[in-house]
Amino acid sequence: MTVSADDHERSLIEAAQADPARFVDLYERHFHRVYAYVARRTSSRAEAEDITSEVFGHALTNLRKYEWRGVPFVAWLFRIAANALTDRWRQASRDGYELPPEVPDAREADEIERRAMVCQLVDRLPDAQRQVIEMRFVEQKSIREIAAALDRSEGAVKQLQLRALENLRKYMEGRDG
Amino acid sequence: MADEALVDRLDLTIDALLARGDATAALKDPELAPLARVAAELRYAPDRAFRARLLATLKRRTTMTTLVLEPTQIREGFTTVTPYVRMRDAGLLDFLVAVFDAKETFSIKGSAGGLHREVRVGDSMLMIGEGGVEGTLPFAPAAFHVYVPDVDAAFQRALTAGGTSMGDPEDRPYGERAGFIKDALGNHWYIGTAFGESYVPAGRRTVTPFVHPRGVPAYIDFLTRAFNAEIEIRAEHQGVVAHARLRIGTGAIEMGDTQGAVEPERTGFYLYVPNADALYEQAVAAGATPLSPPADQSYGDRVGSVMDAQGITWFIARPA
Repeated sequence: MTVSADDHERSLIEAAQADPARFVDLYERHFHRVYAYVARRTSSRAEAEDITSEVFGHALTNLRKYEWRGVPFVAWLFRIAANALTDRWRQASRDGYELPPEVPDAREADEIERRAMVCQLVDRLPDAQRQVIEMRFVEQKSIREIAAALDRSEGAVKQLQLRALENLRKYMEGRDG
Repeated sequence: MADEALVDRLDLTIDALLARGDATAALKDPELAPLARVAAELRYAPDRAFRARLLATLKRRTTMTTLVLEPTQIREGFTTVTPYVRMRDAGLLDFLVAVFDAKETFSIKGSAGGLHREVRVGDSMLMIGEGGVEGTLPFAPAAFHVYVPDVDAAFQRALTAGGTSMGDPEDRPYGERAGFIKDALGNHWYIGTAFGESYVPAGRRTVTPFVHPRGVPAYIDFLTRAFNAEIEIRAEHQGVVAHARLRIGTGAIEMGDTQGAVEPERTGFYLYVPNADALYEQAVAAGATPLSPPADQSYGDRVGSVMDAQGITWFIARPA
């Protein structure tokens, strides 16, 4: 993160600490990162959603306790998420999780950043491509089901899927460069 | 596999990813590999509807956080909303003591000779400004909905204490036996005993202030935007909002349209909130007339005041 991005983040946090209504700005900024981290460590979408809700609920309640020491806000959110995951980990059968709850190391933090970015960029796709991506990956529908729902041919849906992934790859390259 | 079109190879890869979380085969295909990597990330894409739901939940919560103080930050017995009645003449406290067994918890003489009283009725608090010079808050009667254990007995006490009947106690269709009194100073008292296990219905308090605005729907809209009010009850009869109950933080106010039969009250409400400056700005943005911007007062509260289109004064205070 650059210095100016740090300053911006800091001003958002201070605004939210003074007026909780501003917390939604922090939510919009970090939702995808928290979800990307949590989703890898939960066994179902419902559970990933539960824990993500818990993380932001806890962050809102305890926002005043967060102290800016140059530690990114997202690291604080990951810590809350790791604690929430640990609680579940203790309650549930450990087999349910792919990975034990840990705060991400630098390598995983990069992976999370990349995953969060891809998911965020889905919003920028043209509507038809975005719809196909959401139905395919979020709702896990087959090409045939999507074709029926959108009243398009299966070939057309596959083309939209290809265009969408090509666009996302292009956006990512643009970001990396 | 390389003989197939890219569009089909990609779809097979996505099938494998979704079914087994495995796309290693695709990584050997230079055309397919970069797309497969993007697809692998999308396996963990969140549901847009969930993201929007959580945003809405957090917004609701922050609204409450903006309005609701921690119990330790607010004086015992007070909620977000306290009715503040300004009376030229003395006598209201005596009436409250005689009829509702009220207890004065605090009183102080102001610099202009007026008296500020705080009075507990059951579990509820009222502020009374008595005598002195008419200032920000005009001398004006108010209206209240009060629950008592025995409405017939309280009604008799109210008559004895100088009140006049505006409607003798009767079983009312809205779940209580109620009688209506106008006291000697002009205040209205809607006294009720709820049917059911407790004489105070669940979720209610002993006293709820009542107002008679001109144009209830527009007033509800204003209160929603100005003070994050939430509608609990909205009962319409032949196109008129006969009764509405709005929650503001941990407090509530009630209102009804009497189609001009009762003049709108020019009374006051004292709001205790965590951020008086923010709520003051919000109220002004919602159309309230600014009276005085938030400032620290000698008694410790930081208070700003606005008047709404009905002539009701709102003191927006962060407690000391």
